[in-house]
Amino acid sequence: MSPSAFDVPMESYIALSAVIFFLGVIGVIVRRNPLIMLMSIELMFNAANLALITFAKAWVNATGHIFAFLVITVAASEAAIGLAIVVIVFRRSKNVDVDEIATLHG
Amino acid sequence: MSAAITHTVLGIDGSYPLLYLVWLLPLVGAIVLWAFGPQLKSFGGPVGAALVGTAFVAALVSWNDATQTSGALGGAHAPMFSWLPGFAFGLLFDRLALIWTLIITGVGFLIHVYSIGYMAGDRAFARFFAYLNFFVFAMLTLVLSDNFVGLLVGWGLVGLASYFLIGFWSERPTAVAAARKAFVINVFGDVGILFAVIVIVAHVGSIGYGDVFGNAAHAFTSGELFIVCIALFVGCAAKSAQVPLHTWLPDAMEGPTPVSALIHAATMVTAGVYLIARCAPLWTASAEARELVGVIGALTALAGAILGIAQWDIKRILAYSTMSQIGYMIMGVGVGAFSAGVLHFFTHAFFKAELFLGAGIVIHNLANEQDVRRMGGLRKQMPFAFIAILVGVLAICGVPGFSGYFSKDAVLYGTLQHGHPWLYAVGVVTAGITAYYMFRLLFVTFFGQFRGNVDPSDLGIRHPELAGIADPAERLGHEGDEHEHAGKEHGTHAPAWIMSAPVAALIPFSIGIGWLAFGGAASPWQTFFAPVFPAAPATAEAAAPIPELFSGIIVLVVVAAGFALAYLRYGTRGALADSVARLRAETVRMPAILVNAYYFDAAIDAIIVKPATALGRFFGNVVDPVVIDGGVREVAHSATWFGHFFRSFQTGLVRGYALYLVFGVACFVVYYAVIGSGR
Repeated sequence: MSPSAFDVPMESYIALSAVIFFLGVIGVIVRRNPLIMLMSIELMFNAANLALITFAKAWVNATGHIFAFLVITVAASEAAIGLAIVVIVFRRSKNVDVDEIATLHG
Repeated sequence: MSAAITHTVLGIDGSYPLLYLVWLLPLVGAIVLWAFGPQLKSFGGPVGAALVGTAFVAALVSWNDATQTSGALGGAHAPMFSWLPGFAFGLLFDRLALIWTLIITGVGFLIHVYSIGYMAGDRAFARFFAYLNFFVFAMLTLVLSDNFVGLLVGWGLVGLASYFLIGFWSERPTAVAAARKAFVINVFGDVGILFAVIVIVAHVGSIGYGDVFGNAAHAFTSGELFIVCIALFVGCAAKSAQVPLHTWLPDAMEGPTPVSALIHAATMVTAGVYLIARCAPLWTASAEARELVGVIGALTALAGAILGIAQWDIKRILAYSTMSQIGYMIMGVGVGAFSAGVLHFFTHAFFKAELFLGAGIVIHNLANEQDVRRMGGLRKQMPFAFIAILVGVLAICGVPGFSGYFSKDAVLYGTLQHGHPWLYAVGVVTAGITAYYMFRLLFVTFFGQFRGNVDPSDLGIRHPELAGIADPAERLGHEGDEHEHAGKEHGTHAPAWIMSAPVAALIPFSIGIGWLAFGGAASPWQTFFAPVFPAAPATAEAAAPIPELFSGIIVLVVVAAGFALAYLRYGTRGALADSVARLRAETVRMPAILVNAYYFDAAIDAIIVKPATALGRFFGNVVDPVVIDGGVREVAHSATWFGHFFRSFQTGLVRGYALYLVFGVACFVVYYAVIGSGR
């Protein structure tokens, strides 16, 4: 890692990324509000972005930056579709608890 | 497979259109009669008879084709097509096939003509002739084939035709049972031949007779050759009613009498004799096979003759005599006296057909009565049938001058020449028994008083329905206008010319045909067959301990003794006057072992049928429901179980799915961590 403005070790970025990611995971698993779950998913996307940027910078490789843009795009579309689903489900069942929406159970 | 297989064909190649005519005319008849039987009505019989008659004429015209010789080859060979290397099919018409073809078509023609009278008024008149024609075709396929596979095909078709004909009166449960029994036993024999064919193909690589016989010496070890011969003989024994596969023949008498004459006397049952004669080179090379077949033949001759004593059904007596005579033939060809065995077939075909057709006239005129105890005194009412049967009896007993005398003596002396004095002794004793039961038949049926109006119980007949007593109501298929007025109250009537003419035609042959073999080695018969059969190992006249004339006298003395015994018991004035009481006493005292035919049926039932049934029941009640059905059921159950199992994961809870996802990712991470640490 070249000495630069951020003189923080790479491990810290990765650790932060992992922490945010697991916060997202826990959010998806534990919370029952679909909006919170979508936000948690956004958290995981951004944790991944942080890791990508970190590695790109560490190894002076542009691939990471490009992938970060890609992930942002995917996250945007995911948010759009996810919010649309949530709105439709809410219209149908007046319910914001995902555990109550289990009509696809086997 | 031996590398050095030399390719040979028996017979001289060429195109023989007449041969195809002989072979296929009966098939054409069968198809036409099958397809257009209802339209042909009463013309079905003449059409069938005419086609077989034409085939006979065509066979006679091709006489020179069969007898032509060129070097070691003899006869006509018409190649048809080759299926695979070694599997070439064609027709072979040599002297042996000629004799059989002439008997099949000639005697077959006479029986067709006879059937026109015998079966008149039957509901399925044309179908009967379709079956008869089909039978003739099947038999010709068997005889004219130039290879073992064609032979096997003919062999199977003959069994099928026999099944059709025995069960012709399918309204009678006994006829159906007899047909099934005959078919099953015959198929058992077919399997034997199939096995032999497989062994032959494995060792020789060809199915042609010429290839097999030409290479038998180096392609087989003596043990393998023995196995081939025995496997072939299993087929012979089943088809030719040899012990212990003979039990179907007496039951086969359920068929119409012309069928008994055609199939179970003249032709089909001699297929085994043909096969052994055809495979003479194999038998010549295997002393063990000769020994075994000779012994079985002698055993059958004796066993059949003894059973002939105990029968009251005129057709069953003749059936057992057929079995006994075929025993002679098999003994003859078995020990290596091929031309003698074939001669006995040749003469037997005439006199046995005559006996059966004569008996058929009697049965026909007595409204289907078959029990000789209820006949008697028929000499006056049916002089023609009497003469026919008398000639047949004299011939079968071997009275000098009649045909059976020459052939039976030839067979018996043949056993001596080939060094089997014990078989000779059995054969001579059998000849005596034959004379006894045949003259018994003659005396009981044709002499004394007519007993048809005697109460059956006075004759010792306890169960009329089991004793072969005719019950006109039972024989639905045989009812017709002619039979309505043929009842006993009208007495007996003379046979129509259509039935008597074929019998009359057979009489001169029964008497005279044996003279062909008169004169020992120089006789026409021996010269005719000299190029066909290989010289057997022990053919020297010196091998026989007694001269032929002396042997003939011994046989004659024994036959005379048999006749004398029969005369004393049934033929004297006192015996005839007292016949009702005597027959009753004999019926009551008849040993159970003879009445039940040595319990062969019971033994086969106990040894084969019962265990097979038990095995079937085991598979039906245990293996099928538990193992097979159970297996299928368990597969279905396990599918249900797996379904339930996987269903439990499909909670429909999004957060649950997320957890699985995390779990999966964790697994990947751990996996790669482990792989990474492994590096």
